[in-house]
Amino acid sequence: MSQPAASVIEASDDAQQYLTFRVGQELYAMTTDCVREIIEYAQVTPVPMMPTLLRGVINLRGAVVPVVDLGERFGSGQTALGSRSCIVIVELGDTEQPQLLGALVDSVSAVRHIEEGALRPAPTFGHALRTDFVQGMVRVEDGFLTLLQIEQVLSICELAALAGQRHA
Amino acid sequence: MSKTILIVDDSASIRQVVGISLKSAGYSVVEAVDGKDALSKLDGRKVHLMISDVNMPNMDGISFLKAVKQLPAYKFTPVIMLTTEAGEARKQEGQAAGARAWIVKPFQPAQMLNAVSKLILP
Amino acid sequence: MIDMGEVLQTFIAESQELLQQMEQALLDIEQNPDDPDTLNAIFRAAHTIKGSAGLFGFDLIVAFTHVAESVLDRARSGELPIDGTLSALLLEAGDHLAGLIAQLDAGASLEALPPGIITRGEALIGRMGQYLEASPSEARGEPATSASATASEADTGRDEGHWHLSLRFGPDTLRNGMDPLAFFRYLNTFGRILQVEALTERLPSAAEMDPETCYLGFELAFVSDADKATIEGAFEFVREDSLVQVLSPAASPDALRAHLDALPEDPADAGERLLRCASVSRAELDAVLAPVTAMTEAPAVVAQTTLMKAPVDGPVPAAKLRGDNSLIRVDAGKLDQLINLIGELIIAGAGARMIAQNSGLGAMVEATEVLSRLVEEVRDSALTLRMVQIGGTFNRFQRVVRDVARELGKDISLQISGGDTELDKTVVEKIGDPLTHLVRNAMDHGIEPLEVRRAVGKPLQGRVSLNAYHEAGGIVIEVSDDGGGLDPQKILAKAMQRGLVTDGQTLAEKDILNLIFEPGFSTAETVSNLSGRGVGMDVVKRNITSLRGTVELDSTPGVGTCVRIRLPLTLAIIDGFLIGVGQASYVVPLDMVEECIELPPGHLDGRDYLELRGDVLPFIRLRQLFDEASTPPRRENVVVVRYAGTRAGLVVDQLLGEFQTVIKPLGKVFHQVSGLSGFTILGSGDVALILDIPGLLGHIPRTPNDLRQASPVATLT
Repeated sequence: MSQPAASVIEASDDAQQYLTFRVGQELYAMTTDCVREIIEYAQVTPVPMMPTLLRGVINLRGAVVPVVDLGERFGSGQTALGSRSCIVIVELGDTEQPQLLGALVDSVSAVRHIEEGALRPAPTFGHALRTDFVQGMVRVEDGFLTLLQIEQVLSICELAALAGQRHA
Repeated sequence: MSKTILIVDDSASIRQVVGISLKSAGYSVVEAVDGKDALSKLDGRKVHLMISDVNMPNMDGISFLKAVKQLPAYKFTPVIMLTTEAGEARKQEGQAAGARAWIVKPFQPAQMLNAVSKLILP
Repeated sequence: MIDMGEVLQTFIAESQELLQQMEQALLDIEQNPDDPDTLNAIFRAAHTIKGSAGLFGFDLIVAFTHVAESVLDRARSGELPIDGTLSALLLEAGDHLAGLIAQLDAGASLEALPPGIITRGEALIGRMGQYLEASPSEARGEPATSASATASEADTGRDEGHWHLSLRFGPDTLRNGMDPLAFFRYLNTFGRILQVEALTERLPSAAEMDPETCYLGFELAFVSDADKATIEGAFEFVREDSLVQVLSPAASPDALRAHLDALPEDPADAGERLLRCASVSRAELDAVLAPVTAMTEAPAVVAQTTLMKAPVDGPVPAAKLRGDNSLIRVDAGKLDQLINLIGELIIAGAGARMIAQNSGLGAMVEATEVLSRLVEEVRDSALTLRMVQIGGTFNRFQRVVRDVARELGKDISLQISGGDTELDKTVVEKIGDPLTHLVRNAMDHGIEPLEVRRAVGKPLQGRVSLNAYHEAGGIVIEVSDDGGGLDPQKILAKAMQRGLVTDGQTLAEKDILNLIFEPGFSTAETVSNLSGRGVGMDVVKRNITSLRGTVELDSTPGVGTCVRIRLPLTLAIIDGFLIGVGQASYVVPLDMVEECIELPPGHLDGRDYLELRGDVLPFIRLRQLFDEASTPPRRENVVVVRYAGTRAGLVVDQLLGEFQTVIKPLGKVFHQVSGLSGFTILGSGDVALILDIPGLLGHIPRTPNDLRQASPVATLT
């Protein structure tokens, strides 16, 4: 799992590549453009006084990277750690000052291609997620896949504001 | 063997851009920050062309050119002077010192490469 | 193509430096208007920026700088005296350029500038242009290289055609460094030389021949689809000394006649050569040469006039610009990278040392100790590489003081000392804003109006001083003035009014004075133009605190005020003190640690203070603050920290000892968190948090006095 998921990729030109993963029972996907690597969950140092969605920080080859619990972020409760728990390292922000963030997920599934045409709008209600988190839905073999707007889910401004409040 | 060009300019950015352009065209480049530095960089090295700014601290381009013309190993080496249109008087001084090739600042890298290739090809 | 991004940074840094030198020189020249070196320095700065900007295609900067340069050139040649108005204009021009460079630095395009900047630039060009009107020769600069090209533009040959070139190289061609063969090679880059015929008539006998003189001439048949300007352009560098005649493909009989006439030889002989090159047909030649017998000797005259212009001798004034060439200019990014690597080295070293200690191998432990010591030395010398003198920053204030004094209508001089004191470049870069505010503040609120100074018998000219010196592993920067000083009573009254102090409180005078750094405090009785800028002393304090520094103020009524800033020498690597709370480790900067004591057991529950050698010591229980759920150890410890005159204890589980701390910034996510100032990485690879002591101390009452008044103190023995 600590190998970059690139090996699963099959070449295709017009379809976008997405990394699919599970948080709780749900299947999600984010564009691989911003995925730097996927690492096993280990050595997360908790940062005191932080909201629960900020699990802590990790040392990624010398860089200190905050880890966000996507279960908490999606309001489905703290992600329980298991043998398949992973941290997806995501690079956000402009190229001048990229910001690395870790997203804690229950498991990573695969990299798959999704044609733009396969994308359906998210239901306006009945969906558990904040609408700005969702780019769209895609039908897959075993149900639906939620395509995430990862820069909204891991909005640095929002996280910083949440972190700035005292949460002891 | 690629041809070696000595670029003398106190502006690091000019040296850098000129250096990169020349290197990507296939020349070897030696950089110097002023005339004095340039003379020390010559030091027996085979140089096929020199490009020198006129207005520099320590030893300006004209003094450098005069000094080069005194060195048997380099007296026939072509020298391109970088000048500005504001420097007509300096240009005359330079001509007196034997400068014939001038590039007027500001210039584009392509203009400079074209001028260089008139004197030596890579 | 070239990747300009990296080089652009060089251009930006270089331009900023030159603009600073230019500004300094412009300020100097007011004192010393006739110094040619200073004037040259100003000119050269403009000149270099223009040259570099052109290389990047920043036409806007080129056009603007060109006008400034032209004005400066007139000044340099003595045509134009530099007076106060002109230097002020040039300072403004420098500011405008700095603005443009800042746009580039911010990644903005010069194509899409805010209209304000464009208007300002145009206005400045207009104002500078007035200094140029007297010299009509100073036209807007068209690069000279293109001037000759336009002249023959009409004469273009689009199709691949047969050109004929007649070349008579000047005698000094070789001495000027030109190799005739090089031009042939160049021609071959955009065409094909079909035929060359060398003219050897001018070659003297071997005895008379000077090997350095060029006697050569050539006739050349050349096939190319280039235009005439391009072909002529090949000989750009020899044109002045040599005769270069280019005959276009399918030239008219008149053009052919003119071509032959321009050559120094007999037209009939020349014509034969063209024929041998197959550049003309016999019929064409005959048609042109037929009436030639009647011609005069005009061709020779034409040839003469194209020869070299007389050389002009003149003195070569040496241009001088501040700067030392024994120094190496290093990209700051490279230094940052080195220091980052050393940081990694320290972390890796700590890891190795830990493993060595766990292994129990004595020799191994010893070896890693030696290694650690060396790494520490490397760290220290690497950090000195990034040290820069603060003088550069100080000197910028000459301008600030001059402008602000004018704005305020006060006469104020700036005195600078300790400019050679060094500190980390990253600190220097961030100290400018707080200093600007303090200097402005000293001028605005510190220095009294002229009438007041006269009345109390002070020198009429006010004085603001900037001073710097090293002290105990840090740097102290002082901003002082000889103004009226601060009135503690007035400050106290205002602080009470603002609710910063309660009625019963007794504060030492120093504490009262330092209240002005509290948020929302202003001492000016009348709101002046400057205090309307909306930055308070609390912002100064916050800026300095974010640099892990402190600020304090001394003042004597009637004599003056001194603001003292203490800063760490570097923001990269510090000596830390490692403590443990629960499973986590935290770092306290070692220079803030006063001592460590054991927390007296038992009867402290619920109290947040203890008595230490007769003084009240407030403390913070980190377990509580950090919401640590685990069971506390049997014995807890107190780390006594002191910062900015406040002393407090931190109750922790474990004292883990000194630790070389490589500071990793908090990053955007944790930026607003109070109580933390950064991260570091332990030998184990785990992340530890660096505590923000000033932030933590903000949570407890300001002084022990407050505390004593808040509730009676339980004395411990």
